[in-house]
Amino acid sequence: MAEYSLKSSSALSGYNHDFDGIKLRELTGLSILSIAVPLSGEAAAKTAIHTAFGIFMPEIGASTTSANLAMRLVRLGVDQLFLLGQSSDAKPAQLKGTVYTTDQSDVWIGLELSGPKARTALARICPIDLHPKVFAIDAAARTSMEHLGTIIIRTGNDAFVLLSASSSASSFLHAVELSIGNTS
Amino acid sequence: MSQVNRIKGGLIDTNRSLTFTFNGRKMQGHPGDTLASALLANGQRLVGRSFKYHRPRGIFTDGSHEPNALVELESGAHLEPNTRATTVELYDGLSARSQNHRGSLEHDLMAVTDLLSPFMAAGFYYKTFMWPKAFWEKLYEPMIRISAGLGSLSMKEDPDHYDKGFLHCDLLVIGAGPAGLAAALAAGHSGARVILADEDFRPGGRLSGETFVVDDIAGAEWTAQALTELAAMDNVHILTRTTIYGAYDHGVYGALERCTDHLAVKGDKPRQILWRIYSKRALLTAGATERPIAFGNNDRPGVMLAGAVRTYVNRFGVTPGREVALFTNNDDGWRTASDLAAKGVSISAIVDARDQAAPATIPGAQVFMGQSVVDTKGRKGLKSITLSGGHTIPTDCLAVSGGWNPNVHLTCHQRGRPDWHEGINAFVPGGALPPGMAVAGAANGTLTLGAALSEGHRAANAMTKDLGFNASRKPAPKAEDEAHECAAFWHVGASRARAWVDLQNDVTAKDIKQACVEGMASVELVKRYTTLGMATDQGKTSNITALAIMAEVNGKTIPETGTTIFRPPYTPVAMGALAGRARGKDFRPYRLTPSHQWAKANGATFVETGNWLRAQWFARPGEKGWRDSVDREVKMTRASVGICDVTTLGKIDIQGRDAAEFLNRIYTNAWLKLPVGKVRYGLMLREDGIAYDDGTTARLGENHYVMTTTTANAVLVFRRMEFARQCLWPDLDVHLISTTDGWAQYAVAGPNARALLAKLVDAPFDISNEAFPFMACAELSVCGGTKARLFRISFSGEMAYEIAVPTRFGNSLMEVLMEAGREFDAVPYGTEALGVMRIEKGHAAGNELNGQTTALNLGMAGFINKNKDCIGKVLSERPDMNRDDAIRLVGFKPVDHSQKLAAGAHFITKGDTANMANDQGWMSSVAFSPTFGHSIGLGFIKRGHQRTGEVVRAVNPARGSEVEVEITSPHFFDPDGGIQRG
Repeated sequence: MAEYSLKSSSALSGYNHDFDGIKLRELTGLSILSIAVPLSGEAAAKTAIHTAFGIFMPEIGASTTSANLAMRLVRLGVDQLFLLGQSSDAKPAQLKGTVYTTDQSDVWIGLELSGPKARTALARICPIDLHPKVFAIDAAARTSMEHLGTIIIRTGNDAFVLLSASSSASSFLHAVELSIGNTS
Repeated sequence: MSQVNRIKGGLIDTNRSLTFTFNGRKMQGHPGDTLASALLANGQRLVGRSFKYHRPRGIFTDGSHEPNALVELESGAHLEPNTRATTVELYDGLSARSQNHRGSLEHDLMAVTDLLSPFMAAGFYYKTFMWPKAFWEKLYEPMIRISAGLGSLSMKEDPDHYDKGFLHCDLLVIGAGPAGLAAALAAGHSGARVILADEDFRPGGRLSGETFVVDDIAGAEWTAQALTELAAMDNVHILTRTTIYGAYDHGVYGALERCTDHLAVKGDKPRQILWRIYSKRALLTAGATERPIAFGNNDRPGVMLAGAVRTYVNRFGVTPGREVALFTNNDDGWRTASDLAAKGVSISAIVDARDQAAPATIPGAQVFMGQSVVDTKGRKGLKSITLSGGHTIPTDCLAVSGGWNPNVHLTCHQRGRPDWHEGINAFVPGGALPPGMAVAGAANGTLTLGAALSEGHRAANAMTKDLGFNASRKPAPKAEDEAHECAAFWHVGASRARAWVDLQNDVTAKDIKQACVEGMASVELVKRYTTLGMATDQGKTSNITALAIMAEVNGKTIPETGTTIFRPPYTPVAMGALAGRARGKDFRPYRLTPSHQWAKANGATFVETGNWLRAQWFARPGEKGWRDSVDREVKMTRASVGICDVTTLGKIDIQGRDAAEFLNRIYTNAWLKLPVGKVRYGLMLREDGIAYDDGTTARLGENHYVMTTTTANAVLVFRRMEFARQCLWPDLDVHLISTTDGWAQYAVAGPNARALLAKLVDAPFDISNEAFPFMACAELSVCGGTKARLFRISFSGEMAYEIAVPTRFGNSLMEVLMEAGREFDAVPYGTEALGVMRIEKGHAAGNELNGQTTALNLGMAGFINKNKDCIGKVLSERPDMNRDDAIRLVGFKPVDHSQKLAAGAHFITKGDTANMANDQGWMSSVAFSPTFGHSIGLGFIKRGHQRTGEVVRAVNPARGSEVEVEITSPHFFDPDGGIQRG
């Protein structure tokens, strides 16, 4: 038994709050694995990802989920994807070296914003058009909100996941909270 | 005072009364009133004093183009000066005051300036205050400033809060008048996403102020039905109280929504929202603005625009006068007379500048065709007018109409120049409109109702069809086209008294003529010379009249004379709205290090480095100043062990079959042979050969590297490498991702660093010098299984490591390091101690890599590998960057050890004059070294590497200091590196 042990703490201490028409919570225990597709290796990567996790590789700007919805694969660019899940879900070894992976779990914090007023609140900080015809369920985009780089994913009719840098998590939460406060 | 001028009708709620005050006097109004309509209802004709001559002024218009009726709203920190009474929606408890007078509004002491007006014509300031030169700054400018300006600021922090936001649409319709409503209906029916914005709190535009009939019902009723229909459409977003103030690139429009200004109880929501609207198409249906005619004393309270007079009667149920006269050059003006007569308001006279048959008969009105108003009487309120034929007619309100100018402003925001339209004697949209914009209705010069409705409908159908929607099959709303013949008659030349063109800036027809005579050939020069068209109304009622006068003087046509270009904003936007949330501590986001909470609890003083808050030093009880803390941190680190949070350094994960080749091209030195488990220092150049950034890169696997960058350049280096990867060498298999925020990284430095870390590292990992020497790296686990990375690198010059764990364990690792380090008297150190130790060691940092220095200057010429190419290599070989007398990075110490060095000092050879010609270089970094007991510095000096031991002067004229310094090696501490390798 080691003499010392390290305690884990989440950037926003498991924030979870109900507002009028909006629920906002930190996605604790979120695991994010970035997947880089090697040059000329997309076909092999597609197969390996599907074999390992049962997920089809999405188009850029979209995401796909596993059958049990536990994992979500987000395509951010030609050769970059994020696999979102809980910490025990995705093991890089399952991809058998067909792709390059980097653990991004601690780079980001995740906020889930849900409820009928979510889109109205987001309009105060999100430059992306979130109209369902333009940004349908499973759509994903990289953008910036209040000067902070953000990945936004529509996970339901009125539900969005926002990923932003963990070092500026408190400023990001403040920006989202203020947007809710200003609209609800 | 009761509402003496209130008459029946109007679109106001007379069942409810609102109480407000003007200059402390209580008055009553109704919901639906503006402050202006309520003041008129209460018989308040005099509402302010003019800018320059302090002449009594009254309400002149019914909208955002108002030049006169500027008031201060509310008080204390909420005070808002220069607010147009014509746009303020009345609410219960509103408090307004007139502005720009000394003493009372009725007896303004500054009115004396009006008597001096013969001496204060255009260009007065330029001509008068030229001499003596010294008087300008000390006397003239302060005096002018005291009397200049209109309202005054509270000088307190704005207590309201503001927000910003983003909206998206297929079609943005700007203005909810008849053309805009017809367009929004058509576009709404097509299924397109529509935003309909209007600056008024009541959509409808001129339909609210007229007695028009649309689709066989009253215009106001049709408006209400149209709005109900639009509100029921999910794809239509109606924004009232919202001004589209600017047209920007790519279909982006700026909009200001006034959310709570009209509420008696404002609540805690943002007062105003600045929207950025992304549109695929935009239809400008902003209507037209009536222009006045300039004649003698045309600025008296009671002289108003004719369209505004009938708006007050029709929309607000207020008559601005009891005996109203009309002066017009067009048919539209006559409708003021007929509308007022229909409401039972007495029309004393109709004066039409056109020498033709009267277009209508108004009961009880004397009609004077082919005549003009040449003068008026009634200083604080109009009493009579004098006609060119010699008649004097008693009247308390003169409605003036000189025709209508399309509101082309937004069409000019991307340098579009409007075209002259002879048929309506006005400018219409022309030149290159902002891409995606079309114009319909009065804004397009289509000044009659029936045509405006169908043009709006047609334009919307064309635009939605263009976007792939099925055009609405519903017919356009129908209305008659009213008579609108207008003569090109601008000002009354026969007037002897001053004829005011720009009421807001007190510019007369004579001023404009004088400016032309004095050589102001272009309209831009006239504008600047006379101040025409400036301030809150931006010349909305004065520009065309001024152009017409200029054209007359210069013997040109109006289009030959030109037009002013309009720029955003269309109407004033509060600074608070432009700032939005970005104020105080929310001005920008903060990045916090993983040990932030620990540092806060342990006495850290923080410094902003970029967006990061970093611990600068950790004060202990009894320490008198920062130097005490920093000196202690350095000494204790060098004596035993110190810990510093270095998480802020950029970390970039690099993977791929060609990762080594990529690094070889990015860095100046060679990378192909770096073994797995080793770290190497690397230097990057800019394309022009100047040093860009430096740091270490560790090889964690065959195709896996982790690069560190400086804190300041983390984002820039990443962006540059992405550019190189994607655009310069797309054939390389290399992939980048930032992990800066993913790892909490601590420098553990000092003789006991190894002993401390040995307590944390899980067996069987061996961190002895033999197993894990200087510049080694490894992935391992610590504290019973937490994954970690360990690097044997040193910025301080000490025997040191950097240890990283996933960020979630960062605060805990800091606690554990301090706890495990207690037996060694471990000390946390901040960025100041970090800086002192790197100067002692002679490491270059931001002060040295300042965008002016080369590898040669930095003493790193050997880092540019001769056998391969890299970014910046070719241009780094330019002869002038490799001169023998190039500056070199060396160390400096004061000859007299008690003297302090200062960064920024320049080096001068002893005996030479301290001037630019004798400049030898500069001191880039200094620190007091607790290790050596005196001040030390790094700096650049010509041929420095060959001048060790020479004494030069470090001269700092800015601080008035001069110190003799000896040139030394930059490596004050452990020059042979034995300690860090130990």
